[in-house]
Amino acid sequence: MQAVGIRNRWIWSARILFLLPVALLFFFFFIYPFFFTVFTSFTSWRGIGAMKFNGIKNYTKLITDPTFQKALRNNIVWALSQGLIQVPLACLVAMILVRKPFGWRGLRTIYYLPNVISTVALAMVWVAIYNVDGPLNAILSGLFGMEKHNWLGNPDTALFAVIFQTVIYIGYFMIVLLASAMNIPRSLYEAAEIDGASTLVQEINITLPMLRGTLITTMTLAMAYGMRHFEATFLMTGGGPAYATTTMGIDLYLKMDALRYSEASTSGVFLIIMGTLVITLLRKLFGSSDPMSEMAQ
Amino acid sequence: MKHSPTSIIGNTLKWILLISLLALALLPLLWLLVSSLRTNLELQTDPFGWPQKFQWVNYANALAMASLPRLLLNSVFVAVVTVVLNSLVTSMGSFILAREHFKGRDVIYTILTAGVLVPVISFMVPYFSMITRSGLYNTLLALILVYTAVNIPVSIFLVTAFMKSIPKELEEAAIMDGCGFFKRFSMIILPLSRSGIVTAATFCFIYSWNEFVMAMLLTSSVESRTIQLGIKFFSSQFITDYSSMYAAVIITIIPSILGYVFLHDKIIGGLTTGGVKG
Repeated sequence: MQAVGIRNRWIWSARILFLLPVALLFFFFFIYPFFFTVFTSFTSWRGIGAMKFNGIKNYTKLITDPTFQKALRNNIVWALSQGLIQVPLACLVAMILVRKPFGWRGLRTIYYLPNVISTVALAMVWVAIYNVDGPLNAILSGLFGMEKHNWLGNPDTALFAVIFQTVIYIGYFMIVLLASAMNIPRSLYEAAEIDGASTLVQEINITLPMLRGTLITTMTLAMAYGMRHFEATFLMTGGGPAYATTTMGIDLYLKMDALRYSEASTSGVFLIIMGTLVITLLRKLFGSSDPMSEMAQ
Repeated sequence: MKHSPTSIIGNTLKWILLISLLALALLPLLWLLVSSLRTNLELQTDPFGWPQKFQWVNYANALAMASLPRLLLNSVFVAVVTVVLNSLVTSMGSFILAREHFKGRDVIYTILTAGVLVPVISFMVPYFSMITRSGLYNTLLALILVYTAVNIPVSIFLVTAFMKSIPKELEEAAIMDGCGFFKRFSMIILPLSRSGIVTAATFCFIYSWNEFVMAMLLTSSVESRTIQLGIKFFSSQFITDYSSMYAAVIITIIPSILGYVFLHDKIIGGLTTGGVKG
């Protein structure tokens, strides 16, 4: 009996020892920061000195701030464009590639390529492409005789321009959807073929319903990414011109840069809330049965 | 039936879509590559066009100007140490989460992997404050710690899934042979999970090599900055020399492209680990 006890204790020590590094890192970089952010958002802390509680003042200030309202609106536009344009487009491509057209493997590999290139590098290229004297205007004026346009410098087109470049990242969702589409039993299509169903009818009645779970997952992820969007916009426009492209993340960063730490935390809390809201809303709407772990890709 | 007018139109539309997306994925990179080999005069007169003569000197200029070698070295160091650390801690953790049975195991797994749903950029304030207070501000170690931690959810997910797929019989045979806890990990599970760990390590490397926001937040001088900050902030040095700046950018994306050429199967496999069962 005692031998079993010692062995048990030993096994537990080994288990804890193995889990400890991951647990500690996770605690310090996920759990503690979460509570820190929530806590400081209710204070007037500016990075030094004691934290003074000031209730919901930061929150009332934030939601009445026109710049933050713009950021929130832009994030919602981002989330919708990622969820309702990017994912359906990725799905369409996956539905084409699953029928294994010529070169589908190569296409799959190349479509994903931009995802491994740094945003800094690609943002620099897009800034050059959108430049007044850049390639895009050269093409448009050459083909259609369009006037030169300052895509990123004009508040009316800047948001569209920074969102449009995300189409190059389509490969990420496409690959996930394609893998799921490849798992649909061939027999379903064969039966439909015998019934004389056209390709289009097969896609609508077989592929789309079978992809439902994965579509919801990818849409949720895409919209959550839209809510936390920061990097490409920060690099391409810095949130300008006149805050036309700003996002909650940029709002947070600019406040931090101005040493308004507690207000930055408040933006951070909003960012977390909006992300969580998107995820729970989509789950409520579509009743996704997929476990959390499926999102962890 | 096969060549009906509708199917011809459908086919044409299909290929227009596939080729447009192919062009969008490749042309920006090709444009960057070609531009990095042209003279500034050529770039100014026409954004397109083939260089009259390949200007390899742009690459020499890039390497000479922007403290690029130092920044590159920093990036290599950060990415390599991050990958080693992350692989080590997550393979240890995943071993427990995949191969040991105890109450609360699945809860720990769910919490760790749910980390991907957390927008890490909302933690800029606590990260900055933590790193400053611990005296790690403007050190490579700060970046290594943050990157190792931020990659935990994805790595745990990928490696645990892989370790779970190893048949129980292999481990049982080892236990019969008298293998203890550590030997089971180091002699059986770890070698058999190599492929899953490499996949996780690949994602970790890409992230660490490309990361920009945290590096901007937590470092301030050339000694501890990474190449991504280099090409962003030292671009002011290139203000009149765009072609050298493009050469610098090309240098920074070469490792990503090379890695992708060799490891794209692993990356695509890793992306579909979750999708397949969905």
